[in-house]
Amino acid sequence: MLDAIDKDLLKKVADLEGLPKGAFNIRKNGKLLQREVSANINIESSADGSGIVVTIKPGTINESVHIPVILSQAGLYDVVYNNFIIGEGADVTIIAGCGIHCGGLEPEGHAGIHEFRVGKGAKVKYVEKHYASGPGRGRRTLNPTTKVLLEAGATAAMELTQIGGVDEANRANEAVLGPDSLLLITERVLTEGNQKAVSANTITLAGAGSRANMISRSVIKGDSEQDFYATMEALAPCFGHIECDAIIMDNGRNETVPSLKVRHPDAALTHEASIGKIASDQLMKLMSLGLTYEEAVNRIIQGFLK
Amino acid sequence: MLELKDLYFSVAGRNIIDGLSYTFERGKFYAITGPNGSGKTTLAKLIMGINLASAGSIGFLGKEISSLSITERAREGIAYSFQQPARFKGITFRDLLAMAAGTDDEGMLLALLRRVGICSLSFLDNPVDAKLSGGEIKKIELATTIARNPKLAIYDEPDTGIDLWTIQPMVRLLKREQKEHGTTTVVVSHNRAFLEAADIVLMISEGKLVYRGDLEGALPMLNDLTVCNYRKCVGGKDVGCYR
Repeated sequence: MLDAIDKDLLKKVADLEGLPKGAFNIRKNGKLLQREVSANINIESSADGSGIVVTIKPGTINESVHIPVILSQAGLYDVVYNNFIIGEGADVTIIAGCGIHCGGLEPEGHAGIHEFRVGKGAKVKYVEKHYASGPGRGRRTLNPTTKVLLEAGATAAMELTQIGGVDEANRANEAVLGPDSLLLITERVLTEGNQKAVSANTITLAGAGSRANMISRSVIKGDSEQDFYATMEALAPCFGHIECDAIIMDNGRNETVPSLKVRHPDAALTHEASIGKIASDQLMKLMSLGLTYEEAVNRIIQGFLK
Repeated sequence: MLELKDLYFSVAGRNIIDGLSYTFERGKFYAITGPNGSGKTTLAKLIMGINLASAGSIGFLGKEISSLSITERAREGIAYSFQQPARFKGITFRDLLAMAAGTDDEGMLLALLRRVGICSLSFLDNPVDAKLSGGEIKKIELATTIARNPKLAIYDEPDTGIDLWTIQPMVRLLKREQKEHGTTTVVVSHNRAFLEAADIVLMISEGKLVYRGDLEGALPMLNDLTVCNYRKCVGGKDVGCYR
């Protein structure tokens, strides 16, 4: 059964108003809460019990699978290894996410290690949101890792979001791209107070004609800190781009290190980075439309993280 | 409706606006022109509160506004169209228009688009970001200014980045707004099309108001500017200008 806290967390991390339709797997406090499979999407516990294996049949079109994790047990650090095997020519959406509710002094945390094998010509949209709440002062940690292998002509669009309340996050994304494959990653992270988040990304463009675009948007409030590292390596004729933007507020701190490694003469890798306070011309424009300074700041950040 | 009295704006001991006084009348169309660096944009920004005056007063509809913020002046009924409009990440034209109009009602936003002469609906959901052309972002800027239904609309060089074929429709749009909504309109421009449209031309040089009147009276001075429009010649250091 889902209680009120579970429902709130599910709404925040997976936009769910109760149980989803189609295939899903809800994990609560380190254990399976409920699971449903469909004709084309199978979910089973891995042999060693450390996570799940989601297998999507070749040619599955317009189906989705929800795999949220909720945590409200004091002192628990839940680690899960999930595998996704997406069959050739499939076109699916996977909605993950972890919500922590901390009611006491003890820390709570979750590490989700997600491995994707996207078959030839398949398309996957992966949406992952992380959120923590609750009146407790226990430290909330979320350490997600995604590993993606794109076969020839495959596409993965990944939206990775940390929307607030997480004290510590070590985020890691790794991807290897086959021929003519496409990877789009958009990562949005908001930190405040004394929170700290690190995002380390390694993207290898191994196949000819592969393309990758990584966008990072960070809002760093209070005394929080965010560091962003991205390495893009090109082994074939390909195109890759890294765009990292950070808005610094209050005493926020940031280190951004994009790294481009070109190992093939016909590869093209680019990056752009912009770190600083909200541009004054943006604030003045919104204030000239009648918004107060605070309203203008909120609106700009809301758009930036949208 | 707008009264500037002994207005000064100084930076590092230099008066960018130098004791300027003038009263703008309700519902009139004004063009402010003058050489580069003469203080035109600074004056416009002083009225909007983007820059705060070093001395002097600004009265708007009988209320002293020189210490009010940009937000407060906007809420009093002043709107401002920036020469170099801000570009955002993740904010669309629809978002800006809704903020300007104070409503996200689809019907009202479409009516606004018709009012400013933008037909393409797909344009509405375009992000107002660095990918827009100079002309496109100026049209958005104009639309958000008009969407405020301002009592006083200030346009700083509205033709920057606009193609030649769009300038006359833009002039007609601002004139229509003046006529149909009684908007007091102030356009900072070098473009003759706006000067011709104006009821009153104001010329500024070195932070002072040096001319007020119709375009015909301003022409000898404007023609003079075509020789050299970078402030005053500086004696032996210039290139032999006749002035």
